[in-house]
Amino acid sequence: MASKDKKIRKIKEKPNQGFIDENISKSHFDFVQKDEKIFDKKFDTKPIGYFRDAMTRFAKNKTNVYATAILFFMIFLSIIVPMTTEKRFTGQEYELRFLPPRVPIVERFGIMDGKESVRDQQVDRSTIDPETNLGVPDADQFNPELIDYETLENYPLDCTSREERCYGGQNRLIIESDDDFVTLRSNHGFNFAPWENPILEIEIHSLTQGGTVELQLDFDGDEVFETFATIAEPGKHQFVIDDYVTDFTMPLSTQLQFRLSSADGSAELLLDAINVYHGDTAEEPATNIYGQPMSLYTIVDGSGSYNRRNAEILMSSFRYDRYAEAFGERTRTAVSTSGVRAILDDNTEICGLPEDYIEQEINLVNHEFPEGTGCPILNITSRRPAGSAGDIQFYNYTLIVDYAALRGYDEIPYFYFGTDASGRDLFALSWIALRTSLMLGVVISLINITIGIFYGAIEGYYGGKTDLLMERFAEIIGRIPWLVTLSIFVALLGPGFMTLIFILVFSGWIGISSVTRTQFYRYKGREYVLASRTLGAKDSRLIFRHILPNAIGTIITASILSIPLVIFAESTISYLGFGIGHGTSFKLLGVQFSGVSIGVLMADGRNHMFARPYLTVFPAIIISILMITFNMFGNALRDAFNPSLRGVE
Amino acid sequence: MIRYTIIRTLWIFIILFTVVSVNFSLLRLAPEYPPPTPEEQEIYYSRQVRDGLMTMRLERDSETIQGIKDNEIELPRNSFYFDEGDLLRIYEPVPIARQYVRWMGNILTEWNWGVSQTVQANVPVFTILQSRIPVTVMLNLVALFFYIPIGFALGILAALKKNSLTDNAISLGVMIFISIPSFVVMSILVLVFGYQLGWFPSQYPPADLRGMVRLYALVLPVLGLSFGAIAGLTRTTRAELTEVLTSEFLLLARTKGLTRPQAVVRHAMRNSMVPLVPGIIASFVGLLSGSVIIERIYSIPGTGRIFVNAMLANDYNLVIGITAFYTVISLFAVLLVDLSYGVVDPRIRMGGRK
Repeated sequence: MASKDKKIRKIKEKPNQGFIDENISKSHFDFVQKDEKIFDKKFDTKPIGYFRDAMTRFAKNKTNVYATAILFFMIFLSIIVPMTTEKRFTGQEYELRFLPPRVPIVERFGIMDGKESVRDQQVDRSTIDPETNLGVPDADQFNPELIDYETLENYPLDCTSREERCYGGQNRLIIESDDDFVTLRSNHGFNFAPWENPILEIEIHSLTQGGTVELQLDFDGDEVFETFATIAEPGKHQFVIDDYVTDFTMPLSTQLQFRLSSADGSAELLLDAINVYHGDTAEEPATNIYGQPMSLYTIVDGSGSYNRRNAEILMSSFRYDRYAEAFGERTRTAVSTSGVRAILDDNTEICGLPEDYIEQEINLVNHEFPEGTGCPILNITSRRPAGSAGDIQFYNYTLIVDYAALRGYDEIPYFYFGTDASGRDLFALSWIALRTSLMLGVVISLINITIGIFYGAIEGYYGGKTDLLMERFAEIIGRIPWLVTLSIFVALLGPGFMTLIFILVFSGWIGISSVTRTQFYRYKGREYVLASRTLGAKDSRLIFRHILPNAIGTIITASILSIPLVIFAESTISYLGFGIGHGTSFKLLGVQFSGVSIGVLMADGRNHMFARPYLTVFPAIIISILMITFNMFGNALRDAFNPSLRGVE
Repeated sequence: MIRYTIIRTLWIFIILFTVVSVNFSLLRLAPEYPPPTPEEQEIYYSRQVRDGLMTMRLERDSETIQGIKDNEIELPRNSFYFDEGDLLRIYEPVPIARQYVRWMGNILTEWNWGVSQTVQANVPVFTILQSRIPVTVMLNLVALFFYIPIGFALGILAALKKNSLTDNAISLGVMIFISIPSFVVMSILVLVFGYQLGWFPSQYPPADLRGMVRLYALVLPVLGLSFGAIAGLTRTTRAELTEVLTSEFLLLARTKGLTRPQAVVRHAMRNSMVPLVPGIIASFVGLLSGSVIIERIYSIPGTGRIFVNAMLANDYNLVIGITAFYTVISLFAVLLVDLSYGVVDPRIRMGGRK
């Protein structure tokens, strides 16, 4: 109330603003059209047509306008990108597989720069740098020059296998419950020479209470092992060999046995290491056995198990320049003479060879290939004769090639979305897939719309028993779960393009037919229909010339909203592997369409989801944007053409 | 009401019968893939004979045997023979109509759904299904109870604050989640929360793993199943409630002195629930078929995953069993929807007569 009072007060202060001044004299008023007839005069303003009106409404919602713009831009890209992409980007090229995304400008910030984060790669222990204490994997797997050393990290992982790559840890000997002892024998011999004064040291990590370990050596070479010492405690135990050998003048070479026994039949022995010292003053053992070599010892008697524990494997993680690797130097073996000539024929000059190098019979192995001229071959390391025809001798060459120059790349190309398992450019592939998805969506929707309009028109127009029967039929079709339809068509026809169309058309027309039916019920009783019927128009004329044109607006907007639904279903079926796939293709209106749709790309990406997430993420983003903008566009169209339906969704 | 119930029930059974029959007959037409090893084939075919789906005969004529081996004499579709030197043991399928009658009979009298061919050779289809159904049903029920309150809450919030910032934000979210296919949502969820952040397992844990992991493992699939459903429910709730909020009886309620919350809770909500409750029952079917994809991505040992496996391995006996399961569930949901309409909508309760 307070604000109202204030307003009134304000107005009273300035009486000429807001209030009608009752004191205006009559002469101030004037009739606009006292004597004029204006009903057949033309409007000054322009008339607004149905479409103009719809456009105005369409443009009002800015979000939808932006969405539509994005949608059309994507459709534009899906046409342009496949046309402008070089064929080699979409052909299989295994050398270029799994290149990570690389985008110009962005790469300077350290993301999407063509480097791959590699994890869990086993370190080659010989490469460990004493300064940084960091090692890198074997050079065969990862070129050490392409590793980003700033991101290099080493970390241990648990390992229980008996392989050499695991190190350290203990080896565990256990007696199985149905026996009371187990004997373990070393798989190699120990050489004890009397002049070295050998001392055997056994390091035992732990031993169960009540368990005893007998150490056995074969003293006289008769394959009979004799116990010379017994251990019942964990810790380091030293044995001077001289004390146990009678007349220790000849070198003794024997295997070592551990006989683990226990009164109650269960014991566990954890072995750390076996050391042999030469002389009791030696600080470093002459022989030191632990970890993996020890794990190869075998059980020779009794029953038990022997395994490793607490062993570790050293892993590294780092960023690795995949592009430099893919386009850098590569060794090619067993390249035939004609293969080498095929490379050289176009590049004789830049490779420093005379035009007639074949006639001159130049031995290419001795040829010095110039550097920095762009010659694809960097060096030919060897050649081996591979047979001859007449006078001509053929060879198999081993080449070192510059892959970028070999494939005709002037500079290393940018694959914005990376490359897939077959070395195809995912960026180009995504737009090709989008084109396929869109085209399938449009074609299948067109089929659905045609069937739906006919079916709905007949239902709605004739009504009565026809309507009832056809409605029941549509209900049965619509009630069949899509898994049933899918299984039947896939089982009978196999996965493929036709199957996909059948599955999606099978129940896809029902939505459009019910919209059409409702529209026909609405319009079929109108006066103009009655008038035409009275004039003797046939049913088909009434349906297609009189009722349908009036109902078409609603039907079309419903149809446009059905396209994203079809794309949705298509990508799902293809994702499950029952639709189209790699290697298939189909022709529509003279254009060859690839059988790769977004669903197929996503299915490919699933196999590499964790190691190479970009194979999943980019197609996912594209289909998400497509579906969102398509739905917004459809909704905007519907709101514009049928404002009464707004918000009903 | 009784008349309506009877008509709807009968109608659903008619559809069920049609779908199952068509499904069986057409899948029986598809090429059959016998189990991989000879021993399993032996068991499989003798079992088919016992179930009455095939007949066995011995062929002793050496010329005919040679003809059959050279593919000159054609055996009926999906026949199989064992070569035993001088005689052939030939298994031939009986006509599909008779197979169908026997199959139906076996189910109705012995609850015998046949045996799997390639996925788990010679294991009864129902045994396989039995071990898979609980996982799928549990997952879908959890998703159902997860998404209903959220969907309602968001829808009501959007309707009450129509055309505000909240409403617009919710509408945008709805548009996004209703558009993105569930396999995309699930892939991204697994990638981000399962792998990159590591908050939840990136795969469904094996059956012998117990404890909290089982609970954590439900989070991602339930989210993956729910996003689309939440968006759908939010949208319908908002639309229904908006319509009711602008109706005249609500104006009357306000005029007679009810406060806005009272009017909304007592009058608007109740009326907007009428079409929503059947919609929720129907959405269970949508969840169930959506879970086929989720189960595949997350390696959940449910019916959806076994369906995809059976399809890929051409195990059509198993496929028939699984599709029958899905058909029964979805049609009973439809029946429930129809009946719930009858319960909540007085116009139908008064009888289906026009």
